[in-house]
Amino acid sequence: MSIRGGNFIDELRSTENSRIGLYALLLAGIAFYLFPVETAVMTMFKTESAFARTLPFAPPGADGFTLDALSTAWNTLRPGLINSLLMAIPATIMSALLGSLTAYGLTTISWRGQVGVVVLIIAGIFIPYQAVLVPLSQFWFRVFPGLAEGFINTLFGFITGGSWQYPSRNGYVQLLQLSVTHAAYGIPICTLLFRSYYQSISEEMIEAARLDGASAFSIYRNIILPLSLPMFAVTLIYQFTQVYNDLLFALVLINEPASQVATQRLAALTGGVVQSFNTTMAGAIVAALPTLLVYIVFGEQFAKGVAGE
Amino acid sequence: MAQLTLDEVTKTFQDDDGEIIAVDEVSVDIEDGEFLCVVGPSGCGKSTTLRMIAGLEDITRGEIRLDGQIINDQPPARRNVAMVFQSYALYPHMTVRENMAFGLEESTDMPDDEINERVEQACRDMDIFELIDRKPGELSGGQQQRVALGRAIVRDPEVFLMDEPLANLDAKLKAEMRTELQELQQDLDVTTVYVTHDQTEAMTMSDRIAILNDGVLQQCATPLECYHEPNNLFVAGFIGEPSMNFFPTTLEGSTLRGEWFEYELSDETVAEVEGTTDITLGIRPEDIEFVQTDTGPNVFDSTVNVVEPRGNENTAHLQFDETMDDQFIATVGGMKQLKAGQRVKVRFPENAIHLFDTASGEAIRNRTLDEIETVESVV
Repeated sequence: MSIRGGNFIDELRSTENSRIGLYALLLAGIAFYLFPVETAVMTMFKTESAFARTLPFAPPGADGFTLDALSTAWNTLRPGLINSLLMAIPATIMSALLGSLTAYGLTTISWRGQVGVVVLIIAGIFIPYQAVLVPLSQFWFRVFPGLAEGFINTLFGFITGGSWQYPSRNGYVQLLQLSVTHAAYGIPICTLLFRSYYQSISEEMIEAARLDGASAFSIYRNIILPLSLPMFAVTLIYQFTQVYNDLLFALVLINEPASQVATQRLAALTGGVVQSFNTTMAGAIVAALPTLLVYIVFGEQFAKGVAGE
Repeated sequence: MAQLTLDEVTKTFQDDDGEIIAVDEVSVDIEDGEFLCVVGPSGCGKSTTLRMIAGLEDITRGEIRLDGQIINDQPPARRNVAMVFQSYALYPHMTVRENMAFGLEESTDMPDDEINERVEQACRDMDIFELIDRKPGELSGGQQQRVALGRAIVRDPEVFLMDEPLANLDAKLKAEMRTELQELQQDLDVTTVYVTHDQTEAMTMSDRIAILNDGVLQQCATPLECYHEPNNLFVAGFIGEPSMNFFPTTLEGSTLRGEWFEYELSDETVAEVEGTTDITLGIRPEDIEFVQTDTGPNVFDSTVNVVEPRGNENTAHLQFDETMDDQFIATVGGMKQLKAGQRVKVRFPENAIHLFDTASGEAIRNRTLDEIETVESVV
């Protein structure tokens, strides 16, 4: 910076100008991202006729305001939302936990054939959902029930004297199977995320823990796990969004109406012959609420994890 | 308290091009309570040796014994050694207290209040009691270093292993910690193996120094022996700062003929070097004398090239021939002033020179130590 007064003022002014420019750009960015959301929220509170009369982003006005669309969407989606949460929360936690354990085993513990396993896991990320649909349904509809029946009937048959039968594929069993499928399918990407994070953890620290007498599991439990909390936030958000938004696996694995998940319900809500934009928008907003909540809850940790702190 | 023995310890790594020998048949006996420094340039195998003692690295051949018991196959935790790492390797999510207690919790079934008591005592010893509930991220480098040391002493191990623990500290703190570490080691009287690449640290702190080069043990002796009676060219050049000056010569009769000078040897010395013709003459910078006249043999003319004043002494870079690249170094007292460009006469006193077999590098004759004096105690 120059010591001449005039220059100093000029510089100050130009900093101010660039600051104004920056804020203008940021505000434009906010408007650009929030505009569709605002439009959706406005549409959700409009009657059909108000929607036809007003601009999409304009507020409904007193005569065009209604909660009907929202309540229809809510009533249709509610059972689906509960099912989705029942299915997605355990699936997310399981794949994050298993991914973290796998990554730990592949980075800080050394054993023969590690590279092969890493290659298989990375390959697992790239298997498209469509490619596994047939084997997946075969497994859950035929192979697994056969195995389970054989095992459980034998076991319980022995205990109860033959009066007990394996229950049919009812609603909750279907949800559980969908959950397990998602958990398994999420392991590769979670492993990869955790692995790159664990590779950055100081090797000397792990060695110090070994010299301190900690077992492999104790090192995981006391050192690695507490240090991976930011990474857990990243995988939880990513994996939850992924599982929650999936429709394909749900369509294949769930055929009981009572155990349909939110995405299936949303499809039913919007898939009618007559398009009613207000219920569609209300449905979209309601269905998006859980993911929004997850982002808000884990946001700070997520930022830390992404920044690699 | 323990005696640690390395018996022909060897470590090899497999590489694409075959086998790489990192540590080659190193044998050292480390007495109970002894402070041994392992020094050498980077890649000489000193850290690998330490890691083998710790159990973090497999031993390819040879034996490591602790009090006569072979510990080759014992897992690190069972060896009862504590290690201080260069990076300190503190657990960042734990407080100082938790960091120090972790080892005791994992390796002993000591009750919690006893662990707590020992941790607090160690914190008081290390002068970090007021930091006990802070996390490593909130501490300065020097404080983290103390915590790392505290974590080692709280375990009350048989052997301390230290891998360049002072390398990340600034010069002043390093000198302070050096003294403190020495005091600590004397108080606790625990056998210590200390790895460093800094020969000053090795000279000032240790009872004995083990010098490694390319995985081979060059010499294991007290600091003064290593300094005054080096086994070979490598040790002579590695220990001492500035380094010893070396001049390649050939022996002709009683004369060492170098490129720039001829050095007359006495009859006794000639008898000592009998049978070797290619000889490297070595002399420490502080043994080179500046003289006014050609008093006696072995006085040479030279030119002062650069002078580095250090206050307590001046380091002079000298040349026999200004047109050639033949610099050597002499140090004189800080009160003796020299100027660059000055012509001077230097003398290499015969009792201070070292002679090495150029081919093998082995020392044939080391300086005499007649002049060593001791400061008498007063009653």
